[in-house]
Amino acid sequence: MVKHITPWLNAYLDGELSAAQLRQVEKHLAECDECQAELEQMRSLSALLHETSPADEFLPTERFVANLTLNLPRQPAQSQPRKALEIGWWLIPVAALGMWLFFQITFSLSSVLSTASETGLLGSGLSWLQGNPPQTRWFSMAMDLFGGQFGLTGKFILSALNDLSLFLREMTSHFIWQALFATLYLGWLASWWRRQSNQAIPASAVSQS
Amino acid sequence: MASPYAETEALLIARAQKGDRDAFGELVRHHNPGVVNVVYRMCGDVELAEDAAQDAFIRAWLNLPSFRPDTSLRNWIYRIAVNAALDVLRREPKTPLVDLETFSMPDSIAGPETVLLEKERAFAVQRAILSLTEANRSVLTLREYGGLSYQEIAATLNIPLGTVMSRLNYARDRLKEVLAPQLMDMEIANG
Repeated sequence: MVKHITPWLNAYLDGELSAAQLRQVEKHLAECDECQAELEQMRSLSALLHETSPADEFLPTERFVANLTLNLPRQPAQSQPRKALEIGWWLIPVAALGMWLFFQITFSLSSVLSTASETGLLGSGLSWLQGNPPQTRWFSMAMDLFGGQFGLTGKFILSALNDLSLFLREMTSHFIWQALFATLYLGWLASWWRRQSNQAIPASAVSQS
Repeated sequence: MASPYAETEALLIARAQKGDRDAFGELVRHHNPGVVNVVYRMCGDVELAEDAAQDAFIRAWLNLPSFRPDTSLRNWIYRIAVNAALDVLRREPKTPLVDLETFSMPDSIAGPETVLLEKERAFAVQRAILSLTEANRSVLTLREYGGLSYQEIAATLNIPLGTVMSRLNYARDRLKEVLAPQLMDMEIANG
């Protein structure tokens, strides 16, 4: 059964098809009399719609412009708060990127310094960074209650679990920070895209009824 | 590369945004024929169309300070114009009557009978357009008389691209149905 391309004919007539679609439609039109007839009818309709114009009845453009410019009311100046809002809106992505960079550098620097300090690379200069080795609450409790009963292997396993917990906790907080910045930035991008595709018109311009 | 007018338009917009009426007049001079054509097809009446066009340009002037120059002025004005036309129609509850005398025919050397037939055809066309719903009429007039692309219509009316296509398909199908006798006459005349 031949599949007609009737739904595409409007877009074909209006020059709105992609190159691939255009080739497909032209190939079909060359073989299908029914779609060709439909296209001809659409061309006739377009010709009929453009056949007449009441242009002679309208005020000539020059007179229209002269009348209009005489009747133009005073244009309201863009208010300062609106300008400030506009500037603030553009500062959001800059601030988000700046904060993200700041936290990234701070986190990276602190982890490099604490690793260097723990391994003794910095000598005793940054010993204040070391303090007590970090411990989770459950690890401290387990060590207090049953520390004497664990052998060397048990202590080693507990200590590894403690390190894993700490690592996961740090990763989670890192992830939350990153997700927060990404959401803020993507939210701004989405709203920028919306503004681009749809020039905001104040309600007063769109409708006055 | 931007056309010379596009470059000039950017300067005119900047001047008009600072309150320069002459610059705004230049912008109106450029966009008026298109706007008038669209609002006339929306309203179906010359006087209403002129009211709507004037209304649209005044609204554009008042809101120009908040217009973002990185977007299309034409789309912006057309959007205001379509809404102004709809507002004018709501203010005037009577159905606009298309006057046969309104239409000027391009072929002035044709005989009186032909001229009358052509005027009747134009009358039928305008009535058919007015029989469309506001939503479908807006899309059809912006495409046929404003010359906007589907993407531009979507941005102008703030509707999805798919909706533009479906409304346009529906409007043209309906016009084909209503104007079937006129289309047949045209077919016969063209052999």
